[in-house]
Amino acid sequence: MDSVARHLRVWLASARYSLVRATMFRGDLFVWAVVELLWITVNVVMILVIYSHTPTVAGWTEYQMLLLVGTSLLIQRILMGLFWSGIFEMGRNIRTGLFDFFLAQPGDPLFMASTRKLELDGLLNGFVAVGLIIYSAMKLGIHPGAADIVIYACMILCGVVIHYSALVMAMSLAFWITSSTGVEGSYFTLMEFSRLPREAFKGLVAFIFVWILPVVAVSNAPARTILRGFEPGWALGLCAATAAWLALAVIVFRAGLRRYTSASS
Amino acid sequence: MRKYAHAFVVGLQSNLVYRWNFGVRSIFWFFHLLVVYLLWGAAYQGNPAIGGYSFEQTLTYFVAIFVLQFFVGAFNEDYLIGEDIRNGLINQFLLKPINYFAYRISVFGAARVVSGVFGLLSLAVAIPLIRSHLEVPHDAWRVAVVVPALALTAVIQFSIAYCFGMLAFWFLEIQGFVLLSMAVEMLLGGQIVPLDLLPAGAFTAARFLPFFYQAYFPAAVLTGRIGLPLALQGLAIQAFWALALVGLAHLAWVRGLRRHTAAGG
Repeated sequence: MDSVARHLRVWLASARYSLVRATMFRGDLFVWAVVELLWITVNVVMILVIYSHTPTVAGWTEYQMLLLVGTSLLIQRILMGLFWSGIFEMGRNIRTGLFDFFLAQPGDPLFMASTRKLELDGLLNGFVAVGLIIYSAMKLGIHPGAADIVIYACMILCGVVIHYSALVMAMSLAFWITSSTGVEGSYFTLMEFSRLPREAFKGLVAFIFVWILPVVAVSNAPARTILRGFEPGWALGLCAATAAWLALAVIVFRAGLRRYTSASS
Repeated sequence: MRKYAHAFVVGLQSNLVYRWNFGVRSIFWFFHLLVVYLLWGAAYQGNPAIGGYSFEQTLTYFVAIFVLQFFVGAFNEDYLIGEDIRNGLINQFLLKPINYFAYRISVFGAARVVSGVFGLLSLAVAIPLIRSHLEVPHDAWRVAVVVPALALTAVIQFSIAYCFGMLAFWFLEIQGFVLLSMAVEMLLGGQIVPLDLLPAGAFTAARFLPFFYQAYFPAAVLTGRIGLPLALQGLAIQAFWALALVGLAHLAWVRGLRRHTAAGG
């Protein structure tokens, strides 16, 4: 319990430092907020263009699809806001030897490395994603109850943990392949699946991307809760996947850490 | 020229060191292609044609876009140039009879040869799986137009990346600008949706922007989405943009150097 409280205090101190830093470099914060907003726009434009030529995709209407995309973007914005910078820099720090800095800190190296920076722009654009979800739900005439919203929030949290785990595993490759430049793209590619409806997956592809890799469940499970109400099967599956992926990420990271040779003289 | 040939060879060697990164990127190319296949496959369900094109034609377009990017895409040149400026590594070029643009484009060429080989390998693996879904036109003129178009695309991609790298003369942190341009380039370059699916007015406006020639144009010529008159007209506009962007890159270098301070002894 002491350890958890200590890590929480460290995270709060890092968050406070990041917020102060963000307000010092307001121009930078603005640029990054625009970047995040533009990527959300790119995703929305893609959906709008496709639906300007067809009424449904895998049985999902335009606003159902926007709600799904909004859910996927919300998870990703939270991840970007809380963990992206730390994990992204981890890859480069492993190559340059700067990762020593995290090993010398009084805490778990993965926690220290991945929570060092909090990006306000990512979190701010989380509100844009929430706006997209609310707008889509209103267009669909859906009014979810309080219980549905709580379950939805818990599922979003599970999604963030799964995304975090996937990103940690991708960047941990740096322990083996020296340079992680471009590897972060693998995470983004994998997460593109989370913007597709479950019904678009069939056969072996469905088995891999719905049941083995939870990239589809991450967004589909919460979106379905809003669209169709609570479905226990999806909720249980998502919880199990969250625990399994987090455990796997920790195992991969620690295996990689054993290979780390540092850069000190 | 010999010094740039040496830079090219050194670039080849240093890129081969990071062959695993290209390998990982190639593997995730398949995932990206799978996302496209699933999304557009679902969109085409019940629609024999979207925007006048069959599913096979649209899939062929995306395959062409992905493979061509391995040959002409500027993946991280802006970051590398920005780092050279930020860390003062450009000082060595100021003291030698070396043109920094020519040096960088030589290294860029080398990197694209390595990534192009990985692109071809990926295509060779993918072809047996997707052959039945591909529909490539056999007009000889398309190859004649695509070859110079690809060369100009590479120049445009590199020059834009170079200009964004030059921003490091003015800003401490340029990654935000780089990602901002990436989002615009992906959308207006036709990597998210084929540009001919946009409303007619937006498509016409896009034709006069440089992004149109970064990916969409060569892929559209190759896969039959553009006819001969538009292709020739496009080639002329593309040549204009290539020249204009090389000029802009030179201007950015000259103006940036005025702000540059070489420190250290």
